Amino acid sequence: MADVDGAVKEALAEALALDEDEITPEATLMDDLGAESIDLLDILFRIEKATGVKIEASDLGDYIQGGIPDEEFSDADEVITEKGAEHLKKVMPQTDPSEVAGKVKAEEVMTLFTVQNLADMVKNRGNGAGG
Amino acid sequence: MATAPGADLTLRIGVDVVGVARLERLVRDDERRQETLFTARELEYCRGKRRCYEHMAARFAAKEAVLKAFGTGISQRMRWTDVEVVNERNGRPKVHLAGAVASFAERHGLADLDVSLSHTEGVAVAQALTSWRGRPAEEVPCAST
Repeated sequence: MADVDGAVKEALAEALALDEDEITPEATLMDDLGAESIDLLDILFRIEKATGVKIEASDLGDYIQGGIPDEEFSDADEVITEKGAEHLKKVMPQTDPSEVAGKVKAEEVMTLFTVQNLADMVKNRGNGAGG
Repeated sequence: MATAPGADLTLRIGVDVVGVARLERLVRDDERRQETLFTARELEYCRGKRRCYEHMAARFAAKEAVLKAFGTGISQRMRWTDVEVVNERNGRPKVHLAGAVASFAERHGLADLDVSLSHTEGVAVAQALTSWRGRPAEEVPCAST
């Protein structure tokens, strides 16, 4: 497979009209780089063209939640459970379960998704692994 | 955010602008991607139009505007097809909610939802207005996506 890290960085730079130097592995796509939803589509489209790995925007959510049912991933107030936080640590290693469980709402998780998380997901999919 | 006079309603708006050429580049000749973004009814409507990508861009902008008015943007459980824009007989757009977006609306007390669309050859814009029963302002996160 092509250089995934490089392809992800290039896709982000082109879709968001950023200099590649601004795109660090720990930068979050939405808050730090300012990606909006249509940007996300553009980024995934460019990654597909460069690597052959097709990821739909809706796949991101499935990957993040890892097949854990909603009622186990978050509680009645939509706050991430310990189980949800432990899973997030696997796909988003920069997260600290003690800072996520009982504190972060499910709908906010996407805002924590980083450049490195995206590259890891592309590698995961490129290796034929599921989300 | 504003409160409607005489009613215990919180109002929130959302707006979004989409470049028609950009949307076209992303979905042209890709039926699966189109189906990720639009419902069968929306696709049938848009494909029947001479400038179908303009109509798709307007609908995509509407979905984004609605999710901005919700204060969530697209979150990991929400699908773009959860927000469906259909036209009434008089041409006025109407929004149908489904899936995680409908659940969110029910849980948080959505009372009413209206959208307005406009598009030219180059850009499409949509604005959404929502009213909520008993949804405190601090509950609504800042959404920019």
